[in-house]
Amino acid sequence: MEEENQLTEKESLALITSMIKKAKNSYIESGIGPLFWGIVITFCSLITYARVSYQLDIGFDEWFLSLFALLPQVFFIWRARKQKNFISHDESIMNFVWATFAICIFLLSFYNSHVHPSNSIALYMIVYGIPTFITGGVRKFTPMVVGGIICWVCSIASYYTSFANGMLLMALSATSAWLIPGIILRRRYLTMKHV
Amino acid sequence: MFKELDPILHSQLRLAVMSLLIAVKEAEFTYIREKTNATAGNLSVQVQKLKEAGYINVVKQFKDNYPLTTCKITPKGVEAFEAYVKALQQYLQAGES
Repeated sequence: MEEENQLTEKESLALITSMIKKAKNSYIESGIGPLFWGIVITFCSLITYARVSYQLDIGFDEWFLSLFALLPQVFFIWRARKQKNFISHDESIMNFVWATFAICIFLLSFYNSHVHPSNSIALYMIVYGIPTFITGGVRKFTPMVVGGIICWVCSIASYYTSFANGMLLMALSATSAWLIPGIILRRRYLTMKHV
Repeated sequence: MFKELDPILHSQLRLAVMSLLIAVKEAEFTYIREKTNATAGNLSVQVQKLKEAGYINVVKQFKDNYPLTTCKITPKGVEAFEAYVKALQQYLQAGES
């Protein structure tokens, strides 16, 4: 781009529009995060369902897997940040939203381990829906908006089901909120990367 | 009465840089160069002009032993950009009527 080109008013406006569009298209979510969490939470929920329904003993608490899943997640975030050469406006907001989610999940687990409420699955699904719905709204990504709503609907439904069936609802929540949006984002990312 | 277009912004590369920086929180020099397709030398000069006008902040540091220049639009820059777009719209509306 040459500096000395004099612009007409129309050209100026067209240049502004095209650069803002370029900036908006710069960041394509890789989908790794939601895909990963979607798989882990769906898997853990289904294992719990099988364990409770069929009296299976796998010898350890399957939900510890979600703690181990944190390590690759942190690595992916670190690698993505290292490769990125700009920061978007909504990024810091989204970071706070998901950090709030992580803290709430930790606090909820802590509360559960002490109080043992009768239907804690519903509480988890309420919390799952919050960052998912916000992210979908802010990023204008409908599958996550729908995913957030499904989490809340499943949360209500879980009051009327057994614990085992509640776990199926939790698997449905994780699939809708993260796994499916994650697959869509991943496919979009790979397509854009090869264009 | 038409407002005069800000001469700092009314140039192709500087306007492109400002349009990019208004759309992001902050950006590295390499990002701006990629998006504008400008040469490093030319871009450096224009970034310096924007900095001198107080429209952007430029932070130079080192990352993994490589120099890293980060640019961020200032409140004065946002104000100037908004006024420039408003003035442009006035010119275009006048042209249509």
